[in-house]
Amino acid sequence: MSVHFDDFDYEATLLACAAGERGAMQRLYEQEAGRLFGVVRRIVRDGALAEDVLHDACVNIWTRAASFDPARGSARGWIYSVARNLALNARRDDARDADVPHEALQAIDDQASLAAWEAVSRSDQWADSAGRVGHCLAELEPVRRDCIMYAYVEGLSQKEIAARVEAPLGTVKAWIQRSLVALRACMS
Amino acid sequence: MNQTISPSFPDDADSAQQALAGEYVLGTLTREERQAVDALLPSNPALREAVDAWQQRFLPLVSLVEPVQPSAHLWQRIERSLEQAAAASPVPAVPVRAARKALPWWRDFESLALWRGLTAGGFALATLLAALLVLKVAAPLPDTRYMVVLVAPQDKSPGWVMQTSSARKIELIPLGAMEVPADKALELWTKADEWNAPISLGLVKPGERVEVPLDRIPGVQANQLFELTLEPPTGSPTGRPTGPIHFIGRSVKVS
Repeated sequence: MSVHFDDFDYEATLLACAAGERGAMQRLYEQEAGRLFGVVRRIVRDGALAEDVLHDACVNIWTRAASFDPARGSARGWIYSVARNLALNARRDDARDADVPHEALQAIDDQASLAAWEAVSRSDQWADSAGRVGHCLAELEPVRRDCIMYAYVEGLSQKEIAARVEAPLGTVKAWIQRSLVALRACMS
Repeated sequence: MNQTISPSFPDDADSAQQALAGEYVLGTLTREERQAVDALLPSNPALREAVDAWQQRFLPLVSLVEPVQPSAHLWQRIERSLEQAAAASPVPAVPVRAARKALPWWRDFESLALWRGLTAGGFALATLLAALLVLKVAAPLPDTRYMVVLVAPQDKSPGWVMQTSSARKIELIPLGAMEVPADKALELWTKADEWNAPISLGLVKPGERVEVPLDRIPGVQANQLFELTLEPPTGSPTGRPTGPIHFIGRSVKVS
């Protein structure tokens, strides 16, 4: 996993955006657009929609940069929360809320990217690349870890996760709630 | 290893808030729940702090996603928008989703088993959410003592909120439109732990806000069960629930 973001000063860049420095926004875009786009596209599963979301996210980051408060968390975290929120809100209602047949669900998956993360998550190094949350996730039962990953990384609804792991919806809800309790305890 | 950590459901306000914040960041809340959290965040520092913490916890997972380059012209498009940003309005709000369709869940559920299975903690998330909403909306009302979130038994999606509007009345507020077959009616029931059977509080119209007098029962207490069942148009012929449960929940003390 590449880690060049360690060298990039996200906080200073956001502050420059807040000061109205257009070049800072462009540097941020050049630095992060690829990963942001990957994250957003996973969630909305549509390239054109993902570009709309990334566009809106960048405009939001630019116009709201002054509201970023370093005391509330990292600048990079703030950037991703803006983008992920927009992506989650842009998820297609009809596909999310209807009873999606398993086959249809698989058809709309990006199988290649899914296989990629599954390969990563099954390897020994994945927990390292994901840092502390990776180690704590590694302590969960595999199926419960998958539920968390399907939700956060793939943007699947609980109903879709239930179909994917072939477990009842109520079970998946309970797994997720318990996993959150366990993760919080593990990371505190 | 995870088994060494108590897999208990959230059982207090802080845990419930953590669960809500965690699911908000994870992305597993329904659209209505997400919008409710979005609306609450500006005025609720504790919830905001919990959300911030979850965002930081999960952030490293984005490194598992392979970067994908968007099309080359996207930056130009963004740049044009930045130029207009001063005059531009924020991203438009997503319209609130309309009707929730009733699901034939009851074929899979034994009513009694359902009642037994309902723990206060199982509803902590929806309960907390509604409690926060009620506190926000009804903060000036000192006599709000209990509230109930009635959720669909199967997917736990909130359908109604109840709150005691005075010592002798409870207000029932629909959270969305809903449909009931033309030859059926919704009947409201309640049962406190020590009662032998539920007592009818009368018929309610789907999707309509209504104030229900509590003159048939001693009052509302914590953890009291409320449910809406589908009954004949004039109500249950037996004085007990006979039809499937549409929404169900337990009361929590809010002030």
